[in-house]
Amino acid sequence: MLTIRGIRKTFNPGTVNEVRALQGVDLTIEPGSFVIVLGMNGSGKSTLLNAVAGSFYVDDGSITLAGYNVTKWPEHKRAKLIGRVFQNPFSGTAPTMSIAENFALASKRGHARGLGWALAPNLMKPLRDRVATLKMGLEDRLDNAIGSLSGGQRQALTLLMATWLKPELLLLDEHTAALDPKSADQVIQLSDEVIQRDKLTTLMVTHSMQQAVSLGDRIIMMNRGRVLHDIRGAEKKRLRPEDLIDRFEEVRRRELLDESAAAMLNELYI
Amino acid sequence: MTLLIGALIIGLILSLLALGVLVSFRIFSMPDITTDGSITLGASIAAVLLVQGVNPVLATLAGALGGAAAGATTGILHTQFKINSLLSGILVMTALYSVNLHVMGRSNVPLMQATTLASFGEKLGEWLVGGKTIHIFGWPVASADAAVLVLALGFTAAAGATMFAFFRTQLGTAMRATGDNPQMIRALGSNVERNIILGLALSNGFVALSGALLAQYQGFADAQMGIGMVVWGLASVIIGEALTGTRSLGLTIVGTIMGSVLFRLLVAIALRWGLNPNDLKLITALFVFAALVLPGFIEKLKRRASSAT
Repeated sequence: MLTIRGIRKTFNPGTVNEVRALQGVDLTIEPGSFVIVLGMNGSGKSTLLNAVAGSFYVDDGSITLAGYNVTKWPEHKRAKLIGRVFQNPFSGTAPTMSIAENFALASKRGHARGLGWALAPNLMKPLRDRVATLKMGLEDRLDNAIGSLSGGQRQALTLLMATWLKPELLLLDEHTAALDPKSADQVIQLSDEVIQRDKLTTLMVTHSMQQAVSLGDRIIMMNRGRVLHDIRGAEKKRLRPEDLIDRFEEVRRRELLDESAAAMLNELYI
Repeated sequence: MTLLIGALIIGLILSLLALGVLVSFRIFSMPDITTDGSITLGASIAAVLLVQGVNPVLATLAGALGGAAAGATTGILHTQFKINSLLSGILVMTALYSVNLHVMGRSNVPLMQATTLASFGEKLGEWLVGGKTIHIFGWPVASADAAVLVLALGFTAAAGATMFAFFRTQLGTAMRATGDNPQMIRALGSNVERNIILGLALSNGFVALSGALLAQYQGFADAQMGIGMVVWGLASVIIGEALTGTRSLGLTIVGTIMGSVLFRLLVAIALRWGLNPNDLKLITALFVFAALVLPGFIEKLKRRASSAT
């Protein structure tokens, strides 16, 4: 269970580049819930995920995960509880190291790393079996450097690595946005399978309306660093892509209105 | 022959320096100039202890530990105080110059009377052979030199194997991943800052070990002996990569050792032919410059040639 209480984050405070990325977000996510996070560019959805992962400390508010108050935990300590897949397929794997070594690293997420061999013999068998389920033929290439693989393959492997040890929370940050449509479909299907099978609590950021309506059991729509809509239960099930587009349109019109009002005030008074 | 054996021994001893540079420069992508100070630190600590009659193995280990502490200091400056990695190395190297003078109490400590690993090896050789010279492939060789060469070879092989084994452990793999993709290994729960500190300690430990052995072989420690040594290490690493490629860690380590020996041999031959020793650092620097720039330049020429046709 993830509980977020009034978190705020301002980047570059007091400068011309000041960005108020999160302006008081409250959110409770039940165990096993699969939540889609939507929003326009700059709405704060990726910032929200990074705040939970610990990429930076929030200015205000608290984050509680699986009974631990993790607000002041550094990123590597939170990794004990959190599995992550990034937008950039290159971010989640160490390119010059082999597939097997990458998984060896993932198999120690949140555990002390000692002087035992990284490629433990009891890791190889389950590794071959799990990688074989991808049906990409990678199980025979476990000694190949992971950097030689395509973006889609790397993203699929990153997903397996992030969930190798069951995380309390899975964070997917537009993890198919940089892939071609076919690879994106594969990775989405794989994500859904893994999440359903292990009943993973998941936060997934996406730009795809199709993914938003077909996946998950709850949608959070963010705008200007706040949660604007929270759609769940029967309403989420009935939702069609058009409904979401309408809501986006509504947000866009409001922003336009704000801008034209600001422009008018500018003209009148300055 | 004596010249050849001398060059081989120094090449092997300096290959430990090259292995240290391999860790900082290739595994952590961080050219670490602490090297220049830590090789002298290893030499000074070992020399001072040896003069006082400390066991040579202990004195050598103490030298290596001193280097590791210097490396850890650079790591702490870089990760905890967020100082640019190159500048952190420069600060520690500069500070080490004074530290080394304090350790030695003067700028040069001779080891002519002390029992060192080298003098131990020489005695061992004469005892084993039962004479001052042996014939290898018909060449007369001082048995003392031959024994020291065999010792240096054994020592280097053991050090290379240890490094290879370490980088295949859970901790060692996490440290390699730190250099490869820090974001990834942080998300997998490894402390990137700690890994960098450990890595620089390991790197400079190897460098100082090299310094401790070098002092014993050449018979003195000197405050100036570290100048330009990081570039020497880089040259060895680059030659090694040309020899064995970088496809696997084991090959890279073997290549680095071979690179160091080959480079030392080339230098010995050049000096024999009358190269002015004062030009040595200039030529080493030019060599590393060429090795860094030429691959990209050749690539550019090739592309231009192929686009012209």
